[in-house]
Amino acid sequence: MRGHGFLLANYVPGDSVLHRSPLGLKFLLVFACGLASFIIVDWRISAAMLVVLCGLFLLTGAGVKRLWRAVRPLAVVLLVIGVFQWLQLGAPTAARIVLNILVCIVAASLLTATTPVQRLLDGVVKAAGPFRRLGADPERFALTIGIMLRSIPYIAGTFSDVRDSARARGLERNPRALVLPVFITSVAFARQTGEALAARGLGEAED
Amino acid sequence: MPAVIFDQVAAAVERDDSPQPKILLDAVNLRLEEARVGVIGANGSGKSTLLRLVNGLIQPTTGTVTVDGDDTVRAVRKVRRNVGFVFTDPLSQLVMPTGREDVELSLRRSVRNGAERRAQAGAALERLGLLPLADQSIYELSGGERQLMALAAVLAVDPKVLVLDEPSTLLDLRNRELLRRTLAGLDQQIIMSTHDLDLAMDMDRVLVIEQGRVAFDGNPADAVAAYRSWCLEGLSAPGQGAPAQNATGQDPR
Repeated sequence: MRGHGFLLANYVPGDSVLHRSPLGLKFLLVFACGLASFIIVDWRISAAMLVVLCGLFLLTGAGVKRLWRAVRPLAVVLLVIGVFQWLQLGAPTAARIVLNILVCIVAASLLTATTPVQRLLDGVVKAAGPFRRLGADPERFALTIGIMLRSIPYIAGTFSDVRDSARARGLERNPRALVLPVFITSVAFARQTGEALAARGLGEAED
Repeated sequence: MPAVIFDQVAAAVERDDSPQPKILLDAVNLRLEEARVGVIGANGSGKSTLLRLVNGLIQPTTGTVTVDGDDTVRAVRKVRRNVGFVFTDPLSQLVMPTGREDVELSLRRSVRNGAERRAQAGAALERLGLLPLADQSIYELSGGERQLMALAAVLAVDPKVLVLDEPSTLLDLRNRELLRRTLAGLDQQIIMSTHDLDLAMDMDRVLVIEQGRVAFDGNPADAVAAYRSWCLEGLSAPGQGAPAQNATGQDPR
């Protein structure tokens, strides 16, 4: 089981401006980048934003390798999207869409690379606090985010393993040989995770 | 040591292909008070079911299971606070990207203050010598390190009973020995299923489970001998898959 293909960068200890920035500000940055991807219509602005965000990422000391590792898992998908959009809507639109997706990934990676997961979860619990009045359990919100962060590399790793095993059997062109095992393994993983959480008493309603 | 009591316990699951449920465990009566209890038996014999009943992950179809006086159905939350569970595959147990974060997750309910939680997580990791690995991705750890990390996450909340479901199955010899030494140093009552008969010999009491029943209950040497004889019975018949022999024609075991 490989599990290294993580879409976002893992936390990197450091003392950069971004490490010291309040969590709320970093959340806002990610939110603003997500929002901007809907508003921006000029690919050059998207490209400029991406350059700025990459610069900020490198300022954190996380390094080019981590930046590449955060983007790499999506490289093929981005290529497919880019080519498809280019054929459908032309080069400027294709470039804008691909660049906007990259902006979102790098912005989210900035957050995860400079914030320990537990602080991230504390932030989620705080943000979800007002929903307690409606009967919601903020700890469950946080647990969901935590599990999501953990599950992405697992599923990506499963895909790599399944692809290798399909190749070994000469079935690399058979979509069923790729999709079905990943789906079944993911469901099994979800069940095992649920059992592990139950065994630890996590995810239950607060006393 | 807290007493884990099985009183006339049976466990069964519904089957799609038959109106009769599949019996996983039947007529189990046990009082486990020893510090180290081993559970051995063939694949599918009911070992994991027995262990899951202790933590309330499976509820008995009939009978009751109590841990230190608490019923695993009616007081399941309290039981789970007192009973830590370590699974065979640590990757399905560790739910956070790094070991430190997973240990902190265990402590979230009991320790609200972030700094205090971090300190306690550090101490829990330090106890098992895992602090240098605390911030590494769990995918970068070896199987043994992951298993110890899962153990640290469970021990962080200081359970009274530790249940381990075949914890050494995925480990190499060195990591198995590391796990064995770590378990030997713990204060908790340990109930552990295993296929590692050397590990079973470390226990105070060993149960042999066979087709959903406790087929033997006694000291480790006798239990292992009984299990060996049942397992190997019939294998030595000519042409029916005789056990491997060494160059001198003797059974290497």
